[in-house]
Amino acid sequence: MIPGHPLLDRRSFLGRSATALGSVALTQLLHAEGLLVADDPGIDPARPHAPRMPHFPAKAKNVVVIFCAGAVSQLETWDYKPELIDWDGKPLPGGPAVTFQGPAGALARPQYAFRRRGQTGKWVSEMIPHLAELTDDLAFVHSLTSKSNTHGPAENFLSTGFVLDGFPSLGSWVTYALGSENQDLPSYVAIPDPRGVPQNGANNWGPGFLPAAFQGTTLSSKSPVRHLTAPGVSEGADEAARFLLRKMNARHLESHPGDQKLAARIASYELAARMQSSVPQVADLRGEPDHILKLYGADDTRNPDKAAFARNCILARRLIERGVRFVQLFNGAYASGGKLNWDGHSDLKAQYDVHAAILDQPAAALIRDLKQRGLLQDTLVVWCTEFGRMPFFQKGAKGRDHNPDGFTCWMTGAGIKPGVSHGVTDPFGQKAIEDVHPLYDFNATILHLLGLDHERLTFEHNGVRRRLTNVEGEVIRAILA
Amino acid sequence: MNLVLSFSLLASVVGPVDFVRDVRPLLERHCQECHGEKKQKSGLRLDVKSEALRGGDNHGPDIVPGRPGESPLIRFLRSDDPDEAMPPGEKLAAAEIDLLTRWVAEGAPWPDGVDTARIADKRDHWSFKPVQAPAVGGVDRLIDAKLAEKGLRRSRPAEPANWLRRVTLDLTGLPPSPEEMEAFLRERDPAAVVDRLLASPRYGERWAQHWLDVVRYADTHGFEVNTERPNAWPYRDYVIRAFNDDVPYDRFIREQIAGDATGQDAATGFLVTASVLLPGQIGKDEPSKRLARQDSIDEIVVNIGQTFLGLGIGCARCHDHKFDPIRARDYYAMQAFVAGVEYGERDLRSPEADAARARFQEIKAGISGIDQALSRFVPLAGSGARRSMVNARENRDRFAPVRAKRVRFTIRATNQLEPCVDELEVFATSGVNLARDARVTVSGERFSAGRHEQRFLNDGLYGNSSSWMSSETGKGWVMVEFAEEREIDLVVWGRDRQGRLNDRLATEYVIEAGDAAGVWKVVADATDRQAFDPAAREASAFSLTGLSPEEADAARRLLERKRPLETELAGLEAGQRVFAGTFRTPDVIHLLNRGDPEQPGEPVVPAVPEALGTLRLENGSPEQERRLALAGWIASPSHPLTARVMVNRIWQGHFGVGLVETPGDFGRMGMKPTHPELLDWLAAEFIRGGWSIKRLHRIILLSGTYGQSSEDSGGARTDAEARFLWRYPSRRLEAEAIRDSMLAVSGQLDRRMYGRGFNLFDKRGGLSGFEPVESFTGEGLRRMIYAHKVRREPEAVFGAFDCPDAGQSTAIRRSSTTPIQALNLFNSRFTLDAAAALSRRVESEVGSDPVRRIARAYILALGRAPAAVEISEAEPVVREHGLTVLCRALFNSNEFLFLP
Repeated sequence: MIPGHPLLDRRSFLGRSATALGSVALTQLLHAEGLLVADDPGIDPARPHAPRMPHFPAKAKNVVVIFCAGAVSQLETWDYKPELIDWDGKPLPGGPAVTFQGPAGALARPQYAFRRRGQTGKWVSEMIPHLAELTDDLAFVHSLTSKSNTHGPAENFLSTGFVLDGFPSLGSWVTYALGSENQDLPSYVAIPDPRGVPQNGANNWGPGFLPAAFQGTTLSSKSPVRHLTAPGVSEGADEAARFLLRKMNARHLESHPGDQKLAARIASYELAARMQSSVPQVADLRGEPDHILKLYGADDTRNPDKAAFARNCILARRLIERGVRFVQLFNGAYASGGKLNWDGHSDLKAQYDVHAAILDQPAAALIRDLKQRGLLQDTLVVWCTEFGRMPFFQKGAKGRDHNPDGFTCWMTGAGIKPGVSHGVTDPFGQKAIEDVHPLYDFNATILHLLGLDHERLTFEHNGVRRRLTNVEGEVIRAILA
Repeated sequence: MNLVLSFSLLASVVGPVDFVRDVRPLLERHCQECHGEKKQKSGLRLDVKSEALRGGDNHGPDIVPGRPGESPLIRFLRSDDPDEAMPPGEKLAAAEIDLLTRWVAEGAPWPDGVDTARIADKRDHWSFKPVQAPAVGGVDRLIDAKLAEKGLRRSRPAEPANWLRRVTLDLTGLPPSPEEMEAFLRERDPAAVVDRLLASPRYGERWAQHWLDVVRYADTHGFEVNTERPNAWPYRDYVIRAFNDDVPYDRFIREQIAGDATGQDAATGFLVTASVLLPGQIGKDEPSKRLARQDSIDEIVVNIGQTFLGLGIGCARCHDHKFDPIRARDYYAMQAFVAGVEYGERDLRSPEADAARARFQEIKAGISGIDQALSRFVPLAGSGARRSMVNARENRDRFAPVRAKRVRFTIRATNQLEPCVDELEVFATSGVNLARDARVTVSGERFSAGRHEQRFLNDGLYGNSSSWMSSETGKGWVMVEFAEEREIDLVVWGRDRQGRLNDRLATEYVIEAGDAAGVWKVVADATDRQAFDPAAREASAFSLTGLSPEEADAARRLLERKRPLETELAGLEAGQRVFAGTFRTPDVIHLLNRGDPEQPGEPVVPAVPEALGTLRLENGSPEQERRLALAGWIASPSHPLTARVMVNRIWQGHFGVGLVETPGDFGRMGMKPTHPELLDWLAAEFIRGGWSIKRLHRIILLSGTYGQSSEDSGGARTDAEARFLWRYPSRRLEAEAIRDSMLAVSGQLDRRMYGRGFNLFDKRGGLSGFEPVESFTGEGLRRMIYAHKVRREPEAVFGAFDCPDAGQSTAIRRSSTTPIQALNLFNSRFTLDAAAALSRRVESEVGSDPVRRIARAYILALGRAPAAVEISEAEPVVREHGLTVLCRALFNSNEFLFLP
């Protein structure tokens, strides 16, 4: 054994994973597939999504991440900077001459009015009236920083902890560690915005070098899981093919007794058969009562994008209700000059009017609905975006440029201390100055709430014990209940 | 100054500090929990002299002997700032701090030999030592020796049919044909089979994929836009050819690092296989540019280290490698070898490519002449003939000659977003494009420097990056004004004549001509065109409708001349450009503190890691010379890693697991070889055989170890996973082999080699989602290695079978088993199509008798005849539902999907 490399702690591992397959065979199988590392979650290859124990008792069992692609301005939403009203139209003293897209213009006031909300009296923007009503329940981190000011690398950083392509996403790490409570549905579901996929597409829910089993499955109220049924095949022919396959595989297994890989494949077809009925059921919103559709705004015929996003929010709740471990709900699509996502470079106010109307009511309803059903006790809801925006407009435009040095995300639900505002940016909201938290910390906190130690959740890849948080990360304790 | 002075005074009063008596206990008590043997926070260790005096990662040495005022250690001990005070939350007593300060002031004396811990010599590791082949070698001999140690024995030989299926799938990724099976069972000549398979072009197509996994090859740029990298494939083809031609491995290395110097230009695609931010995506601010450049060089260095040396050296970008003898300095010195490499598309340099380029220009001129002539035969606008649908590439609006001083093109609707026009041409009846010299005015524009600008409307350049974009969604107008009134009869416009983009297309428009007197007249509009259909992928072909018989005749003759030119052009267009290393004067590389380009340290010269070699170049050495030197160092027979790493990859390809289980990590974190003598014997044989990969295959494949049965002969109790090879370890086929085998068995496989990839999705890259192609025809039935590989986007059916996403290097594929795989393979259109095709093939080969058909389907799919019970099970099903049902089950069966 190599010093400093606790690779094979076989004894404790065997103790934990003595499951149906017989622990010795299982260990050897995992070893063969390269899965066995320190703190390996003990994955049964026949049931890779079986629920597994966290490192320590968890506050949250499930997660919904509302991922606002394109970089939502902290200054128009949650981080109130009245100084900007006085300084509106004046240059930022000592500010940068050139930012991501080009020359910087003058400071610009918040583009929406702010009001105090709830018991906490926190100032929140009129842009998001429904979400603002929930202010007392939310825990804000105003002092996040990203490692990149470019959407692609920055969305990678938010989703995977690395700016480069090819690392496992948060949801993949979580389901790799914990499996799922529901074996008839995918354990990790990514729901793209009805207007399109986010800027980094599948990398936001990709497994990187983790086994493909932990890839997010895309599903939305608009598009179902692919290949649930065979097109144009009669029920009889379908059943006949299944019958022949069962016979072939059973006979083949007989001649290879004890081969767990073969047994796992056989089991996967049985799981697949169950998914064929459970997935359409969960995606079928026809049974949802009118008052629920109304609560989410799914009945809004004047705003079809909002209604579609609202249906995605209802779908998210239905998935959580059924024990799906990780749901990633995207708001905002690909780069489009800010037309389809939150990338407000040119005319921020006009574009945010559109996006806010899509996000606000449905997302707020999702939280209310989870709460009224008692699901928020076990479910962590995370609202995040890849970075923030500058306090000044871009030269010759009415929009704000990329700003990775201080921006806001929040969490609510299981394990979260409600009504907290943690971290501070400077008076113009440009840079985090107190309790500065790189996104590593935000991700470490999510894992912590799920009972996972971000330093122990590792996977050996090309000689490095990889983590979601690289070699960084500290849990943000100030927002924990 | 004062500080130092006062401490020296203090020291003189109480006598010198004794390290062992005074200092070591303090370090042990207060520091070593975080900076000791177990943990080295910030890379600092205070229990070993050499490490302590070297300092941590963040700021040079923490202890500056004789200068306490400059020693970070002392500053942290004294600090009240909670961010830097040490130890965190427990300040040392003043007397203790004074003592340590005095110790530093006295020159930090630290006697040798008093450390309680010892640092492991990071160079003391098997793979960094020379290859040591045992005196007597042989695969079976060395495997058997290890088995005997474990009380195990090799299994009996595999059934010949199983052996043939195994070796054929292994070498070619396709199952043997029934004829090949029959011949082998008759002749029983394994050596002849191995030679036949190694000579088959299918071999390179299979083994190149293993290599492309490691170098994370893809046909898109990755990151947020993930746009097409249209000319990456010459590198993919180079790799296939190299395997097929058995290019010696040392040459294979040199070509990929410096093929521009050795006549294999496309091979340098290796240097730039990674995701990269395109120039337009990088921020305009200087720090963004520096970071992007660092990231892109990092990917090159990491790729070289990972691929050829099996070492993850990227860790040293921020700090000395924790386990391997790679220091941050070594890492940046490696960067200096490739500091002149840029990512980019350029002309491929080879005699063939030069000739192709010349011919390309010639043909293009010919085609454009024909097009010019043909354009006269477009039906006149408003003539009553239905004109073709607008398309994103190019649209011609021909009309009766009219005198015009101005031409206005007004867009009233688009398929999406703001309209974009890459070029507007207005032709005089003389055939001259008048727009080139005209004055342009526009309704407004969404300006994007160097990409969308008003002046690009008539600049003669095609494509999205030289276009005008309106400021309004769905509308806008442009107007060109000539110096004087001219007679015109044709307007040609497009959205992207390079054919990459098809959004922002004007679907409703009107073209008006205004004469010198200011009278406007509509000359063409979209109302007589076919209604726009976004699903129609290709522009409709040239149509003869609406032409007079003479016109139609002339047009037909032109079309006949054009067709062969186009065919030739399509072939040529491919060869001439390549996404490969582009080379320039190298940047000066600096050591960066914690990998931060904003904190440069001293400059470094190109050098290999000190622990691994002595190669070191001058700072001014020319760009190409640097890469040649690096390649020469790696491809040396005396390099301890190069041959071992490759031999291990080949072994892994044959057995599923390498002799070193961690093919991407031969460092100290990696696994040790299960059979060190065998690994070294093979490495020595590899070099002795002139680095021939095919020779190595032969040695392994003709061994008894490879040829033994995969069935359990009782060894599972001791070694369930067969790491010691008491049986052949079976495993599931990879995604590509499954897809290719289904096509081959069903008789659909298109064996055309090389060239531009076929589409798995409706798009070849870009921002929005990718709709998968469901039903494949034509070139879509080629082997999967010829698919256009979209980074990160898993192929809809087979991607779930652990296809690498081309983000990071995949030295070994995981083999996971999921219900999504089952759904894809059981229900996809691809499987149903293949099952139907197999069913048709069987029927055409053996007629309609159900039993004969069942037998033939088994032979084709599984390489064996069905047993009686299998026939009796299948027969009623086939009678009732047809043979397709059986074929679908066969493609999903474990027997089909696993190596026997």
